[in-house]
Amino acid sequence: MADLRYAYYPGCASQAITKEANETTRLVAGRLGIELHDMPKANCCGAGLLTDYDYELYIALNARIFAEAEEMGMDILTICSTCLMVMATANRDLKEDPGLLDRTNKVLSKVGLRYSGNIKVVQLLWVLAGDYGLDKLRKQVVKPLNWLKIAPFYGCHSLRPASALGFDDPEKPWSLDATITALGAQAVQYRGKTKCCGFQVDLVNEETAELMTAVRLLDGKGRGADCFVTPCPFCHINLDNYQKLAEKRAEANISMPVFHLSQLVGLALGLSPEEMGLSRHLISPEKVLK
Amino acid sequence: MRAAIEAAKGGYNVAVVTKVYPVRSHSVAAQGGINAALKETDSPEAHMFDTVKGSDYLGDQDAIEIMCKEAPADILELEKMGAIFSRDKSGGIAQRPFGGADYPRTCYLADRTGHGILHVMYEQLLKYGVYLYDEWHVVKLVVKDNTARGIIAVEYEAGKLHRLHSKATIIATGGYGRLYKTTTNALSSTGDGMALALDAGAELMDMEFVQFHPTVLKRTGILMTEGARGEGAYLLNAKGERFMSKYAPKVLELASRDVVSRAEQTELEEGRGIDGCVLLDLRHLGEKKINERLSQIRELAVNFAGVDPVKDPVPVKPGAHYSMGGIKTDNDGATRIKGLFAAGECACVSVHGANRLGGNSLLETIVFGRRAGKKAMDFSKGSPLSDFPVDSLMDAAHEVANIVKRENGEAQYIIRDELNAVMEENCGVFRNKERLARCLDKIRELKQRHNGVSLSDKGELFNNELLSVLELGQMLTVSETIVLGALNREESRGSHYRTDFPARNDKDWLKHTVIYREGGELKIRYRDVKITKFKPEERKY
Amino acid sequence: MKIKFRIRRCSPISKEACDPYAQVFNVEAEEGMTVLEALLKISDEQDPTLAFRKSCRSAICGSCAMNINGFSRLACNTQVIPEYKKMGDMLIEPLSNHRPLKDLVVDFTPFWRKIEKVTPFLTPTKKTSEATVTAEAEAAIDRSQRCIMCGCCNAMCNSLEIDEHFIAPAALAKAWRLVGDVREGHQAKRLEKLSEEHGMWDCVRCVHCTEYCPKGVMPLKQIEMLRSGALKAGILDNPGAKHVEAMADSVKKIGRLDEAAMTFRTLGFLRSLGMIPFGLTMERHGKMPLPHIFPQIEEIEEVRKIYEEFEKALKKKKG
Ligand SMILES: Cc1cc2nc3c(=O)[nH]c(=O)nc-3n(C[C@H](O)[C@H](O)[C@H](O)COP(=O)(O)OP(=O)(O)OC[C@H]3O[C@@H](n4cnc5c(N)ncnc54)[C@H](O)[C@@H]3O)c2cc1C
Ligand code: SF4
Ligand code: SF4
Ligand code: FES
Repeated sequence: MADLRYAYYPGCASQAITKEANETTRLVAGRLGIELHDMPKANCCGAGLLTDYDYELYIALNARIFAEAEEMGMDILTICSTCLMVMATANRDLKEDPGLLDRTNKVLSKVGLRYSGNIKVVQLLWVLAGDYGLDKLRKQVVKPLNWLKIAPFYGCHSLRPASALGFDDPEKPWSLDATITALGAQAVQYRGKTKCCGFQVDLVNEETAELMTAVRLLDGKGRGADCFVTPCPFCHINLDNYQKLAEKRAEANISMPVFHLSQLVGLALGLSPEEMGLSRHLISPEKVLK
Repeated sequence: MRAAIEAAKGGYNVAVVTKVYPVRSHSVAAQGGINAALKETDSPEAHMFDTVKGSDYLGDQDAIEIMCKEAPADILELEKMGAIFSRDKSGGIAQRPFGGADYPRTCYLADRTGHGILHVMYEQLLKYGVYLYDEWHVVKLVVKDNTARGIIAVEYEAGKLHRLHSKATIIATGGYGRLYKTTTNALSSTGDGMALALDAGAELMDMEFVQFHPTVLKRTGILMTEGARGEGAYLLNAKGERFMSKYAPKVLELASRDVVSRAEQTELEEGRGIDGCVLLDLRHLGEKKINERLSQIRELAVNFAGVDPVKDPVPVKPGAHYSMGGIKTDNDGATRIKGLFAAGECACVSVHGANRLGGNSLLETIVFGRRAGKKAMDFSKGSPLSDFPVDSLMDAAHEVANIVKRENGEAQYIIRDELNAVMEENCGVFRNKERLARCLDKIRELKQRHNGVSLSDKGELFNNELLSVLELGQMLTVSETIVLGALNREESRGSHYRTDFPARNDKDWLKHTVIYREGGELKIRYRDVKITKFKPEERKY
Repeated sequence: MKIKFRIRRCSPISKEACDPYAQVFNVEAEEGMTVLEALLKISDEQDPTLAFRKSCRSAICGSCAMNINGFSRLACNTQVIPEYKKMGDMLIEPLSNHRPLKDLVVDFTPFWRKIEKVTPFLTPTKKTSEATVTAEAEAAIDRSQRCIMCGCCNAMCNSLEIDEHFIAPAALAKAWRLVGDVREGHQAKRLEKLSEEHGMWDCVRCVHCTEYCPKGVMPLKQIEMLRSGALKAGILDNPGAKHVEAMADSVKKIGRLDEAAMTFRTLGFLRSLGMIPFGLTMERHGKMPLPHIFPQIEEIEEVRKIYEEFEKALKKKKG
């Protein structure tokens, strides 16, 4: 197997609110021998909001990130689905539209940068289920999570638009399900698993955001899930941090622990709950852990 | 809709009744374009000549002249309403060549011309506050003392019969492609309006002229636009020959539709087809041009025939496409019944004569739709609202109740399938006396059987099956008029080709067939063609 | 090949209600057969009471949208065999986010009302009506023109699922069709209306509309164009626009998203205070974003310079 080396782009959320996602990803990657190299210059991808602000500015700022990775000679690995979607879409547009690439490079040249369209953007989940491989992961498991029924929450941005992402199948996603199984746990099937957590309107329309969060969690709960797992820190913010608000809004009792993907993998690799930063969660996962 | 907009603009109280939502009407499927002489180097006269020649001299030249002269203004008006036709390099409206035209005269919106126009019409309906009765299926045109009183329709959602009482009624129900097994037309193109008008006492004209489009997909009948040939596609036979060089050496693939369809049918019957098809080859146009100009065609070929035209030629064959004939009207859409108008494909003005040119039909719907709307408005101004005969609603209710009540009859689809098969086989591209006579007998037999069909669905709400039975009745009526007209017309002209009378015969047959009902019987009379500028000549491409 | 079709049906009790049940049909599928053809076959040969909408059978009239194996599709351009190979037995349901009336026929009235809300026709002024549409101007609205009003997008829209009053992607795509037309005369008014509650800022960017539109309309892309248009027209007095502005400022200032500053700017001082009790729990878990705890990214000047380039270009365009 080729060395797994990536330019590491944790995304803004995991550098602040969901710090534990970033920290545990580094730990887990270290254990698995996946090299993560920091990108000290990288700016925010815009989380979709910059796309609304000005499309070509969004493209240029993302191309700046790509240029840094290109210089490092590595593809970008992120743990945030929104960063993934935003960057991969920009990358697709740049690769498909030579005119756009030209215009963007003209802007970048003002700051001495250039992007030639040669990198890929991937997510931790894809590396595990793809290049690293689930068979190999299974062999690393020392503490199979075999008592857990887990609702995989892909969310929208790790799957769509398929034309830009293209790793998993949005209608029949398998990567997170298969990762759960590889860790020894059981994946719960429910309709909302590829839908939206509501994050993008948290600050714009709280009612929609909170209800959406509640609907997703209740959907999984109704199918017998003990807990949720998500590859995306933004989804985590809504599913965990805002769960209490969602409960209130939906007038329902949810109390559903939500794991970051990296935490779940870490636990199965034998890392401790403390190392996995579980105390940072608002809904304590203690009750579902042995 | 164009008619409704005209009348609504004039301040009249207008309603559109349609069995599908307005943006679902089959005009939405028109791909290739709409004709108008816009450029200085082109002229309405040239457009007129091409149309007359295309019609095999059966089109009425006064009507054609109106259409061609008014076309440019109508196109510009469509743009004012919001449509955007594809642009040429200088930012003007681009035009592409179409079969049978001597000049690139067809305006288009990529390969979604009908879609573009239809959606703009719908926008205008909303703008002018036209009432919409969507998913209302008209079952009767109510006429008393030779004056139209309104309509009766079934509301799909509620299963209820309603009457709409009006001063003027305009029929714009489109074509009847569904009589044939292989057709480019929508499932809803069942010729309802023509049959309803005939039953109400109006006349149908030139029904025997059915256009077969030369490039339709085999199993589904989905159309590959003539625009494809306009952009330069080839037609190949099994040997890989561009066989059109034999049939139309000068213009090749761009000969008019009847010529190309017959050429294909000949190739097929003489054994130079592949699996009942010839090949439409776009490969040499290149991926870029195909994506730019014919993206929908590519999508359709991939999704419905499993062939990517960038890589492989597409198997195609002729399929029923357009009805040249229809409800006989004057140049303002008026029928012989007072207050009853018709426009669009269901009408026969006649601008298409024995064969329609591509891009002239959307034009007809716009030009004559507008004129009919205007005339209906003028008519309403000058006449009082005449009463709506009460018993007509009762009668219609009884008729429907009778169908619903019947038990243990045949299922409608069996009759429909038999009708499709018999029409395709005997009343298609090539016809003769014996085949047509057989066809007529069969249709009459099917009519009998149709009187005995029964329903499995006895529900009131959303009863698809009931509507299918009603449509089938209209289809049988329309078929009968087509075959009758074809049987009587002992010559070949335009789309009507009799193997037993292969030549055009201007001496005896330069005239329109007019069919009407009298005492339950179908009767035929003939009417002279209006010839103003262009004397009939041999039609050669 | 015999393929099993599970159809979620519904028998109408009245115009307002229907009684759901599921029924299985086995259909002999031939190569190339579409789901619509299969349904026609079922309604001919097995059960004529099965109700569904259809017309063009060539993916252009928009009648036959339904939920196929969990996702919005046009029945007429979904081929049975490949779909079966991917998803197994067919599960056919009425379009999501719409009320079924009978079987696969859903109530489309809300869809049309939403379209009507965006004043779906050109309203030029005297001046704008003279504008010439260049090929470039046409290209800007080309995708939004392809809509066939099938409702696939609305049916998948995650925001509409939660809030039935959301204007939803189809109407927004139509709105861009008009706002983006150089001949339109009332852009600003339209954008103001779209910025109201339940308007374009309520989209949660779930990308479903773009993914499941059968005609490549990419409604989300058109929503982004509308939002940019509103910002550029200075329509900023709403949470959605403020949120984006705050983001743009934050990235320009420190190169990153500054959650706390964004909350404050988007919600305003009073509402931010309202979030404090909740904020306190977050604080206990170390989750309260504190302003400017982020270090600035390295070489932030590059980012600022890129911004400036665009600001310059915009000014040039305006003046
Ligand atoms: C695939 C295809 C491609 C074509 N391409 C071109 C082209 O490129 N250029 C061109 O000029 N022409 C083209 N044509 C021809 C042209 O599109 C049609 O002739 C024209 O659109 C017909 O318009 P219409 O308004 O008469 O009928 P339609 O658009 O078919 O409308 C008929 C309306 O009547 C309603 N209706 C019917 N029966 C009833 C009833 N019983 N009760 C209530 N309502 C009823 C229907 O619901 C529908 O709304 C094409 C045709 C096809 C099939
Ligand atoms: S991206 Fe927005 S409009 Fe599109 S489906 Fe999602 S929430 Fe709805
Ligand atoms: S945007 Fe696409 S999915 Fe939505 S209604 Fe239009 S065509 Fe259908
Ligand atoms: S039947 Fe018209 S879109 Fe499917």
